[in-house]
Amino acid sequence: MLLRNVFTKTVRDLRWPTFWVSLGMGGMTGYFALLFPTYAKIVDLNAILEKMGPAAKLMGASLGDASTLIGFLHIELFSMILPALMVTYAAGMASGFTAGEESRGTIDVLLSYPISRRRLVLQKTAAVVLGSMVAAVAVWIFAAAGASASASDLPWDKLAAALAMLVLLGLAFGAIALAVSAATGNRGAAIGFAVGLMVVMYLVDALASIVDSLAVVRPLSLFRYYMGGDPLRNGISIPDAGVLAAVAVAFLALALVLFERRDLAA
Amino acid sequence: MTSAVETTKLTKFYGKSRGVRDVDLLVETGQVFGFLGPNGSGKSTTIRVLLDLIRPTSGSARVLGLDAHRDRLEIDRRISYVPGELSLYPELTGSQLLTYLANLKGGVDSAYRDSLIERLELDPSKRTKSLSRGNKQKVGLVAAFMSRPELLILDEPTAGLDPFVQLEFEHLCEEARADGRTVFISSHQLPEVEHLCDRVGIIREGRLLAVETISSLKERALRRLEVEFGSDVSVETFGGLPGVIDMRMDDRVLKCTVQGSLDGLIKTAARFEVRNLRTVETSLEEIFMAYYGSGDAIPGAAKTGADDAGKEAGHAAA
Repeated sequence: MLLRNVFTKTVRDLRWPTFWVSLGMGGMTGYFALLFPTYAKIVDLNAILEKMGPAAKLMGASLGDASTLIGFLHIELFSMILPALMVTYAAGMASGFTAGEESRGTIDVLLSYPISRRRLVLQKTAAVVLGSMVAAVAVWIFAAAGASASASDLPWDKLAAALAMLVLLGLAFGAIALAVSAATGNRGAAIGFAVGLMVVMYLVDALASIVDSLAVVRPLSLFRYYMGGDPLRNGISIPDAGVLAAVAVAFLALALVLFERRDLAA
Repeated sequence: MTSAVETTKLTKFYGKSRGVRDVDLLVETGQVFGFLGPNGSGKSTTIRVLLDLIRPTSGSARVLGLDAHRDRLEIDRRISYVPGELSLYPELTGSQLLTYLANLKGGVDSAYRDSLIERLELDPSKRTKSLSRGNKQKVGLVAAFMSRPELLILDEPTAGLDPFVQLEFEHLCEEARADGRTVFISSHQLPEVEHLCDRVGIIREGRLLAVETISSLKERALRRLEVEFGSDVSVETFGGLPGVIDMRMDDRVLKCTVQGSLDGLIKTAARFEVRNLRTVETSLEEIFMAYYGSGDAIPGAAKTGADDAGKEAGHAAA
């Protein structure tokens, strides 16, 4: 029964968004994996990227080798679309955890039950961690299915590594959204801030790949840690994963402190 | 015996107009207590401090003898709360919501819960988003009573209830009291709670004006009376009667306001032909008027009431 506690109730709340984001991300990935051999025969993507020069880098295609499926997925999906979806999902869900209950007015009753504010936030956070992992697993399954159907070679461990980084990136932005919503009680501000920050950080990382003078600010962008070590080629980079995890934990801790201290909206 | 609710110099500022100041409220266990005041007077603010949803600017609040902030979880195991504007998870049915809340409470007696559902004639199969305000309120009341809490804190519980449910609600409160449990009810309408409450506290503009029994409250209340005579009667006839204020004769109809006993007025009026007598229900507003108008020290207002009487005027102006 999903009405056992706040964690299971949140899993229940997230079930449809999680289903749709899993289907969307997985479906796209599976589709690309399925069509890759056909596509590669018709189009020499590497030549196109060559011609585009720096513009290709802006679109996040700086690291991929379009002649392999994994490189193709990197260029087409992992550089921009999947992180955008994952971040929007995690930040969107997390921004509603406290602010949603507050704006709907359900938090008063909820907190009159024996559950502390801290446990409320932690249990809800656990649900979005689970949801993000479910979405990542869905992407992996769809990709593997598409690749096997099209008889393409797909290094499953590298794919898993990149998906792990994707989950961490989503959770880092989710924690930022959670902190903003815990501090302000304003869901719109929280999701807007997190998604806006994602866009800025994406642009910083992409621009820094072509503008040398931006190299100094590149470490400020979480995208640097997400794909900087090229997990689709090299597997997981522990230091990069550590940075993303640390950011997530730090903002979660901040959210707990801010929410604990605040007067809740009536 | 510990008190159910005890606040000491409880103060909460919220910008300019809202909030409470120096509220010393003592509610003993085993009674039904009415917390009365007009909208925006600080009732909900006080309640939300008791629930640790907001933190006092100064002063302290204890619930069942426990610190409202530090001992939060222990308090939450032993109380129930229904907010004034009850919001429920719209996607859940009444029965799912009650299951969720019962689980959060650590389990309840399901037979008792079912009996409450039956008594309040709640249809638990409907999603809460499709429920009327009164039906939502029923879900809230079942949720509040089903755990048989030592203290029920009910913010405007009677708003939107039909008379039948209102009556059943009163029975539930009386049963709770008979069990030695405490019910704390806020309302902005005295008539809705007066026959239910043992004592009432009156709050206005963030200050607790009085804590009294209902009967002594009514003694102090102002009544508006209209007496229609069969012939011309001089208004001077009624001059000097004790408790009569604000009197005028309007085409054989005496319109007046009386504080306390009506005895003198009635006996004087009985000397003439009385065609009709109308009395207007005492509203809370008029009880406030009685307090403001009389200028008396407020009896039993607060543990420190007398000392603060002078200061209060200053605060009210601030």
